[in-house]
Amino acid sequence: MLDLLRRAQSLAALSGILVLAILISPVASDGSRIFLQPGNLTDILRQISLIGIIALAMTFVILTGGIDLSVGSLLAISTTLTAMALTRAWPHASYTSHILRAILASHILRAILAAVAVSTLAGAVNGAVISALRIQPFIVTLASMIGVRGLAKWLSSNENIDIGFGRDVAAEFAAVFRQKAIVIGSYACAAALFWILLARTVFGRHVRAIGDNEKAAEYAGLPIRGTKIWVYSLSGLLSGFAGVLYAAENHQGNPNAGVAYELDAIAAVVIGGTPLTGGKGSISGTIVGTLIMGVLTNMLRLKNVDSNVEMMIKAVIIVLAVAVQGRDSDK
Amino acid sequence: MAAPLLEARDVSKRFGGVAALRHAQFSLRPGEVHALIGENGAGKSTLAKILAGSVKPDAGRILIDGQPAAIASPLDAQRLGIGIIYQELDLFPHLTVGENIVIGNLCFPEGRLTSPRNVDAFCRPFLEQAGLECGARRMAGSLSIGERQLLAIARALSMNARAILMDEPTSSLFDDAAERLFGLIRELKDRGVSIVYVSHKMDEIFRVCDRATVLRDGETVETVEVAATNAGEIIRLMVGRNLQIAARPYRRPLGEVVLEAHGLTSGKLKDVSFQLHRSEVLGVAGLVGSGRSELGAALFGLDRIRAGAIHLRGSPLQPASPRDAIRRGIGLLPEDRRLEGLMMRMSVIENSTLAVLARMQKLGFIRRRQEISALGPVVRQLALNCPSLASPAASLSGGNQQKVLLARWLLLDPDVFFLDDPTRGIDVGAKQDIYRIIDGLAAAGKGVMLVSSELPDLLRCCDRILVLSNGRLTAVYDAKEATQETIMASATSFGPHMRKPVKDAP
Ligand SMILES: Nc1ncnc2c1ncn2[C@@H]1O[C@H](COP(=O)(O)OP(=O)(O)OP(=O)(O)O)[C@@H](O)[C@H]1O
Ligand SMILES: [Mg+2]
Repeated sequence: MLDLLRRAQSLAALSGILVLAILISPVASDGSRIFLQPGNLTDILRQISLIGIIALAMTFVILTGGIDLSVGSLLAISTTLTAMALTRAWPHASYTSHILRAILASHILRAILAAVAVSTLAGAVNGAVISALRIQPFIVTLASMIGVRGLAKWLSSNENIDIGFGRDVAAEFAAVFRQKAIVIGSYACAAALFWILLARTVFGRHVRAIGDNEKAAEYAGLPIRGTKIWVYSLSGLLSGFAGVLYAAENHQGNPNAGVAYELDAIAAVVIGGTPLTGGKGSISGTIVGTLIMGVLTNMLRLKNVDSNVEMMIKAVIIVLAVAVQGRDSDK
Repeated sequence: MAAPLLEARDVSKRFGGVAALRHAQFSLRPGEVHALIGENGAGKSTLAKILAGSVKPDAGRILIDGQPAAIASPLDAQRLGIGIIYQELDLFPHLTVGENIVIGNLCFPEGRLTSPRNVDAFCRPFLEQAGLECGARRMAGSLSIGERQLLAIARALSMNARAILMDEPTSSLFDDAAERLFGLIRELKDRGVSIVYVSHKMDEIFRVCDRATVLRDGETVETVEVAATNAGEIIRLMVGRNLQIAARPYRRPLGEVVLEAHGLTSGKLKDVSFQLHRSEVLGVAGLVGSGRSELGAALFGLDRIRAGAIHLRGSPLQPASPRDAIRRGIGLLPEDRRLEGLMMRMSVIENSTLAVLARMQKLGFIRRRQEISALGPVVRQLALNCPSLASPAASLSGGNQQKVLLARWLLLDPDVFFLDDPTRGIDVGAKQDIYRIIDGLAAAGKGVMLVSSELPDLLRCCDRILVLSNGRLTAVYDAKEATQETIMASATSFGPHMRKPVKDAP
């Protein structure tokens, strides 16, 4: 009942913002509203995809009562490694025949897997340290946010690794993975998977139970350590995957990528109705939260609102959203 | 007759679809002890919270000294001279005992620093009166649940209230501490303080209360003079029918030894040895802090075992964690359902099946239908009263929350049950149900260890009773031969009174 109300609240907020966006949208020369043009709507979806993907796993982390500040750095290491693998390991080969295209695909796949594996592993280390040494997640992930960023810069000698537009592996990779359909499709698939994971599986139930009352979860014999390690690994996995998409989209591996992404992801989760204390929340809420942020940004950009003003408006929205939810969540 | 000190007229309150109170009437005279009784979920706590300003009624009026009063917050209530001891003991675990007493306390002199010394000086008399024997500087989170109850009492005393609402203040107190509270109540009464006393323990009602108001399904059934009635009559008013008090079951023949402890020593326990048989209900008695809960903690892998050995079904057991203990076949129903038991924001069904999800899944996916069908019989067996199985645990009354927790362990169905005060906050009728369930577990060949603050219940339920005092086992009684007096004597003694086994010289 309460749950429904709260979900309805964030949906209502989203619809409100959508209506506002339509109303104030500039009008194109053919009389249509620019906001509603298919190109613009899919642009919004593409723009929110990276943060959206990261926010999915962030929802799990926050549900357990934790936080993951390292997601931006994990994205950076993954994006750097992807670009390095594609440009340095297989630099100048160009592929034309079918057989060669298969080799190309396997090169790309291996580069992606390597990059995602490293960030997943880093996430697992976060989880292991948090649960074994019982240090607060904020501190542990703050440390890895700094450390992993350092690693990414060190590996790349603090330089962007450019992916060209030629006919080599790297360029082929970018051409495929920057397509709107692939980016948005990835987000949609990840969202569906994580929704099922949270709502339907034993793992999801454990995640919520631990966030609700960790001590009681211990008394009930739940695998607390294992669950936490998995949760932070998933966060690493999705951040890594977002890093791959980032490399394709920006045509480069940038060790300085993803700064402050953790804040956007956390904001999306919180606007979506998951309190930072954990225990309660949903993937659908997080998706709505992400959409709210995305539509808002787009609306303001279409109106050419100064980006600094944009930040101030977002700040207000975050506080408002949480204030409204806070009221009915205490008793 | 003077105007009532505190009066509720036609008070109604709904929580979503549940009517917690329907036109409830209640009136408290100056200087009386007034019992508020009813089954689990009857609306007692809701009424108490409304009078104390922490819940707003949907309709109805509150009068103080015959004048309409606006009690919009707990602070208002305090200003009007109303203090409350909540059933769910909302304390700040990360503050000290003293800080818990002075925080938000209008009687703590304003402008005075909350320096530990000032706090100590302010709190000492109240801690003494309540009988909490620990410094005011101890962390509240480190107190046992019984001690937390005493702390809540001390806090209520410190507010210098004209009326104190006590919602099940003795639910975790053993007899001596409860005794002290009764003395305190008499003193308060002599000073003209009125008390609202919520309890499921009939004997207490008859000992300390002047009048009793019975609630059923949120409605006031009747207010009676306690001296002019009897327990049967009150129970009949509560449940609306005559209640069969289950007789003590005949003795079952005991099975083989299922759990054996030898020289068990942990942080609190010293050299405790006992055997638990299949089909046996083994009681554990002791004062608050005697180590009765620590015994469960040691068996369940929560406390490190320093010396001694445990054997489960003949093989040595060194549980490293509750998870480990559960896997080996030990289930522990924790004493404090809020801190150690329930996930308050999760539903009844999710809470109940939490420990047995492994049996209700396929490839990691939860089989919801199986979940519901497994829970059905247990819910009926426990007579669980909740709006729906999907409602969050927080929305249940205290007694029904306790039943949800019990459901979790019944579903798990381990070989050895360690039930730490399973009837805490449970109404008289439901208590009989729970004792019947315990009998059923024993009949099914389980070994059951039962901790309870209520000696009569231990005597009724158990085959044998262990008595702990200060971490040591001081006596083992056959429940048929023991009396409350002999158990109390052993519980307050500090030396081993157990007959030493005669050692034959080889
Ligand atoms: N916060 C809440 N949200 C929804 N329902 C509630 C809430 N608090 C109480 N209720 C419902 O109101 C009814 C009365 O509850 P209350 O806690 O007053 O019972 P009680 O008489 O104190 O019972 P007990 O003896 O078990 O403590 C119950 O049906 C309970 O489920
Ligand atoms: Mg109650």
